[in-house]
Amino acid sequence: MGAAPGRPQQSGQHPPCRRSPGAGFLAALVMCAQPAFAGADEPAPWSERVVTRHLDYEALAGPLDKDRLEALISDGERLFTGKFTRADGAGRPMATQAIIPTRRKRAVETAFSRTGLDANSCSSCHHEPVAGGSGPFTANAFVSEGFDTPDFDSLDPQFSNERGTTHLFGAGLIELLAREMTGELKAQRSEGLRKARASGAPATVALSAKGVGFGKLTAAADGTVDLSGLEGIDTDLVVRPFSQKGVMTSLRQFSINAANQHHGMQAEERFGARWTGSGDFDEDGVSDELSPGDISALVAFQASLSPPGRKADLPPRWAEAAGRGESLFAQMGCAACHRPFLPLKSLAFTDPGPDDAAGTLRLGDVARPILLDLGVTQWARSLPRNAAGEVLVPLFGDLKRHIIADVGIDRLGNELLAQRFVERDAFMTAELWGVGSTAPYGHRGDILSLAEVIEAHGGEATDARKAWLAAGEEAREDVIAFLRSLVLQ
Amino acid sequence: MKERAGETGMRVGGSSPTRRSLRRAERRPSHKGEAEARAARADQPWDAWCRMQALVGLLAAVLTAPPALSEDAPAPKPPGDIPVLAEEAAAAGIAHVYGGPWEYFVGGGVAAFDCNDDRRPDLFLAGGKNEAALYVNRSEVGGALRFAKGETGLSGRDLTRVTGAYPLDIDNDGIMDLAVLRVGENLLLKGKGACRFEVANRAFGFDGGRGWTTAFAAEWEPGEAFPTLAFGQYVDRSAPGSPWGTCHDNFLFRPQKTDRAGAAAPDYSDPDTLSPGYCALSMLFTDWNRSGEASLRITNDRQYYRGGEEQLWKVPPKRPPKLYTASDGWRRLMIWGMGIAEADLDADGYPEYALTSMGDNKLEKLDPEAEEDRPVYENIAYDLGAMAHRPYTGGDLKPSTAWHAGFADFNNDGLSDLFIAKGNVEAMPDFAAFDPDNLLLGLWQGGFAEAGKEAGIALDRRGRGAAIADLNLDGMLDLVVVNREAPVSLFRNCGVKTGLGAAPLGNFVEIAVSQEGANRNAVGARLSVKTGTHVMARRIQTGGGHASGSAGFVHVGLGTAERAEIRIEWPDGEWSHPYRVFANQFVVIRRGEAAASYWYPPQ
Repeated sequence: MGAAPGRPQQSGQHPPCRRSPGAGFLAALVMCAQPAFAGADEPAPWSERVVTRHLDYEALAGPLDKDRLEALISDGERLFTGKFTRADGAGRPMATQAIIPTRRKRAVETAFSRTGLDANSCSSCHHEPVAGGSGPFTANAFVSEGFDTPDFDSLDPQFSNERGTTHLFGAGLIELLAREMTGELKAQRSEGLRKARASGAPATVALSAKGVGFGKLTAAADGTVDLSGLEGIDTDLVVRPFSQKGVMTSLRQFSINAANQHHGMQAEERFGARWTGSGDFDEDGVSDELSPGDISALVAFQASLSPPGRKADLPPRWAEAAGRGESLFAQMGCAACHRPFLPLKSLAFTDPGPDDAAGTLRLGDVARPILLDLGVTQWARSLPRNAAGEVLVPLFGDLKRHIIADVGIDRLGNELLAQRFVERDAFMTAELWGVGSTAPYGHRGDILSLAEVIEAHGGEATDARKAWLAAGEEAREDVIAFLRSLVLQ
Repeated sequence: MKERAGETGMRVGGSSPTRRSLRRAERRPSHKGEAEARAARADQPWDAWCRMQALVGLLAAVLTAPPALSEDAPAPKPPGDIPVLAEEAAAAGIAHVYGGPWEYFVGGGVAAFDCNDDRRPDLFLAGGKNEAALYVNRSEVGGALRFAKGETGLSGRDLTRVTGAYPLDIDNDGIMDLAVLRVGENLLLKGKGACRFEVANRAFGFDGGRGWTTAFAAEWEPGEAFPTLAFGQYVDRSAPGSPWGTCHDNFLFRPQKTDRAGAAAPDYSDPDTLSPGYCALSMLFTDWNRSGEASLRITNDRQYYRGGEEQLWKVPPKRPPKLYTASDGWRRLMIWGMGIAEADLDADGYPEYALTSMGDNKLEKLDPEAEEDRPVYENIAYDLGAMAHRPYTGGDLKPSTAWHAGFADFNNDGLSDLFIAKGNVEAMPDFAAFDPDNLLLGLWQGGFAEAGKEAGIALDRRGRGAAIADLNLDGMLDLVVVNREAPVSLFRNCGVKTGLGAAPLGNFVEIAVSQEGANRNAVGARLSVKTGTHVMARRIQTGGGHASGSAGFVHVGLGTAERAEIRIEWPDGEWSHPYRVFANQFVVIRRGEAAASYWYPPQ
């Protein structure tokens, strides 16, 4: 442990680099001598614990060669699949599930409940067909912001939003796409401001990243920006690609949030003394339960999961139907949002990324980031590229939120709670890569077939749904054949 | 204008602490000790200068003995971020000294406000016997501080004998004006744009008098087009027996002829006398009882008054001001009152007040046992570790002399911190000679912990007035301190001190509010910023501190919150709907508009 100089050990003892105020300089001098991990004494071989050692972020920083990358991924898989115990820090008796450290008024009475502290392992839900995959309906999560009413023992949707477990394959590519899109959008905003200031007149900018439109903004000569014309993105122009609502910026942020919400495993970089005054914010007797290095391992594991692909060795009948279905999918207008590809300039995945805010490790918090070159992976070599050399990420999505329900077709608008400024009827376009492996469907995971979920599309997808309905039975079967060919591999 | 800070703070989540729990907050060592060190990033605003300053500070801390404190219990250390405050006045181009004889032992203020419409805070610095100076902010975003001396259009005569200044838009033309406190005639300076001013005493029907002015506050009374101005006076040097027991009366200038529809300028030709005066050194309009009607809180210097005390004036609209007395519940308090800062620390709507003095400083909270509408206060400074009664470093056990006070979130952790400027009056042997300024960082378990030395502000200078503002628009509050007979200190907030330098602090939001017509900058408005269960309150005020005022963005640290909801109680008491904003943005809220806009500085 000890990602940052002087980080306390889980046991409460201080590692050698822990210094009183002012000794950080000396700590820096010896930092390079620290091992890649530090922590509790070596556990017995039969130990039930998962976090048997904490990973040291600083020791991991910089470009990772193949061996170190594989080792970090392996550590991440260990944390992703491990079943956390009390000794690891599982449970949060005096903290809620909220993404901002929030104390409970009274200790929670049950170790596990269907609606809160609902898992002791990431892979207990993300496990179909393998770790990192999706989950069945029985693995649904109940999402509550955890501020005013953190405790609820009812599945009544007035208390929480019920969500299916999505797969994480290709997540590294998704985050890289989002980072590049965010950069493009911010650059367009800057250019609009520059023009407005130069001309003394308002400048309206049509926002577009990787061919996906995000509405418009109007920059005034005084430097203010009218945000009322934005579409499908937050007002800070950060593309948040994760969660069904598109409210999480990075795998790192998602992992920290989820570890606290589902397992009561609190990351030091969010719940540690820096932000809460206590290393044991949840008062379970374990301090700094996940180090920055531990979170980096979880990120590396998820980011390196191979992207879904096409089902191999399709029988000729299926292959022909899928081919026709792919064309029909586009003709019906489905591909307007479920875009077959988005181009990606770089496969260099830095951890942390450029768009996270305090409470998630930021680039500014570290001397140098961990660099995961996804280009060294086996799967990266098989990804198609365009003439510009950009990787074509076959996500079947656009990383944008859309209104997906209306008065007439409201099945996907069945939540009662808005989430982090995103209204009930707006959801991120589901990436369809892997959809052939991840039934059931819909954000609640309660729609049993692809045809049903297509017909549940309302709002902005109304025309596509109508085209689907207007098509003949054979054409619809072809589309299903196509979608069923998009599988986790 | 001066924004005052406060929040439910003092702890995370849950419900707001009650008045009682706030009072009972324990002074105990932190759970985990010092903040975690963070490595610095080389390509960000925390440049080489900041990193060097951080390392210098760290080495100094390693090589010097711990602070000489003789408390029974060790002082708590803040477990959160300690900001690196790098002094760079000379490098920034500011060379200015406040000084002069006895009349300038007090005063020494600064007005921080934008005078050239670029939203960067510019600085008007009192000079005492020296000329006041205006420094125009040329700082790059997130970069080193840079200022250039500006041409104000004022005469040297007008710029001398200045003790302090407060910015406000008196005539509602969208350009900041200045109330300038002087030894002699006070001045109302009408802003002309481009950092130029003209004396508007005649135009505003304002008689600046000939007194020794050391305090100022302003508010817009209900229905009034122009602000009510309060001027606090110190010793009446012409009175028999001066200086002992000869405190000057104070004055309240209410705008006349309010029936003049569309009047372009106020008429202050008929002031009220606030008598008795007890040598005011700071005053502040404050809605102490959530009545929607501000009262005038005045802190007075017992050094010169006889039979005096702290004061609270009722200022009912269109009726004469009236002192709160013992029959109203007001308790006699005699201190060497130097400065006032207001914060609503527990966001219950009832503000707390930091009152600076010699020796013990006060942190007053409305007594929870008091009857409704009775201004009965208890001092919770000791309980919250905010007494700051003697130097925290340097080994001098003599009491401190405190002047400016300001609540703000210096480390963006979502908790209110308290800055106090310190410095011997001149050469008073019974008080500490080396008397460094305080940076009391808010603690999650309640109270404050001193971090002035670690932050880098423990200079051997006699501080007076100050301004806390984000001078380089990087989301981190910087600090300017006017010192007596010493150069102005200009501290750039470089971020959190780490083992390798400075790194970013927590999230923030900075908010500019405006409304049409009178009181365009919404003086008196209350801002409520909510992140999860945590509510942070700010009040836009003109007054307080020590002869110093600020106007511009209201800064709120958000800690780890990525989003916030902002509600505004406008000066007329009307609440806005919630504005949803993302962290690390400059937010512009114009009254009546459905959504907030963001503002971005030039690249």
